[in-house]
Amino acid sequence: MSADKSEERFDEMLGRGLRKRAEPVPDDFTDRMLRRVREEQQRRILARVIMEERLALAGCILLGIITVIMAAVFPGIAGSFTKQAEVFIDKITQIIEAVGGQWQFYTVLAGAFGFAVYSLVDLLVGDS
Amino acid sequence: MAGEAGKNQSGAWVGRLLAGDHQAFAEFVDKYKGEVFLCCRMLGLREDEAENAASETFLAAYKGLSRYRGQAKLSTWLWRIAYRQAVNYLRKNRRSKQLFEPAEQVADDRNAQMSAGLESKEQAERIWRAVERLPRFWAAAIVLFYREGKSISEIAKIMKKRKNTVKTYLFRGRERLKEILADVFGEDVDVGG
Repeated sequence: MSADKSEERFDEMLGRGLRKRAEPVPDDFTDRMLRRVREEQQRRILARVIMEERLALAGCILLGIITVIMAAVFPGIAGSFTKQAEVFIDKITQIIEAVGGQWQFYTVLAGAFGFAVYSLVDLLVGDS
Repeated sequence: MAGEAGKNQSGAWVGRLLAGDHQAFAEFVDKYKGEVFLCCRMLGLREDEAENAASETFLAAYKGLSRYRGQAKLSTWLWRIAYRQAVNYLRKNRRSKQLFEPAEQVADDRNAQMSAGLESKEQAERIWRAVERLPRFWAAAIVLFYREGKSISEIAKIMKKRKNTVKTYLFRGRERLKEILADVFGEDVDVGG
């Protein structure tokens, strides 16, 4: 047998022998992996929600700080805002008084509107 | 035709896998778990350690699937993760030295002469035991080349070594195997090289 043939035969037998090797794997390994992956997915969703909440909270705090700084730095603008706010609050009071006589009707209307908004949100982003 | 259908089916499966389909991921684990366990054991991890490392490998693969661009074969990509996990495991436990040593001290069984009509299963076992007597880097290169059919450049990527280093591992590993397995292959193999 030539040297080349001998080498080829060795390679062939080596490959065949190694391909027969199989390491034992626990029967439930795939199920356990799936469980871990689901947990990982839930962990990621939770982390995202927490991050969103933190961002919202940071936004609120930042907005408050900016408002205080603006009021301190530009007192004139803050004063005009205060006057406008007083006017706005007066108008709200007038509206409440006007609506007060028909509160049953507006309560039903608000309920229907709330339900419609809830249904729309549920339809669009409910699954996610 | 059948090959093309198979390729399309495989493409669809990879697509589902990348989209995060759990069923496709379960099929992925089923398909490759044997290879991942083999990689971990080959590098010298014990059974429980191999299970942990395999678990971490698939979890890392799941997290990294969105970054998989299909430039390498899926199996090559997974082997790279598994190899890295196993090596990191050894490093963490200060056992990196083991990578330069044989997987285990196998008793010299050269005296048990194999006849020409050797059972193939027995022969496969002998070959594996011989591979276990190689330093693990050599064994990894040998298994990837002869068992998995990976090219030199794929092995270099998996092992993060230069191509010439891989060629050296393969050459030395093969020569050592020829010596160890001389009695198995008998006069068919020119042991002198």
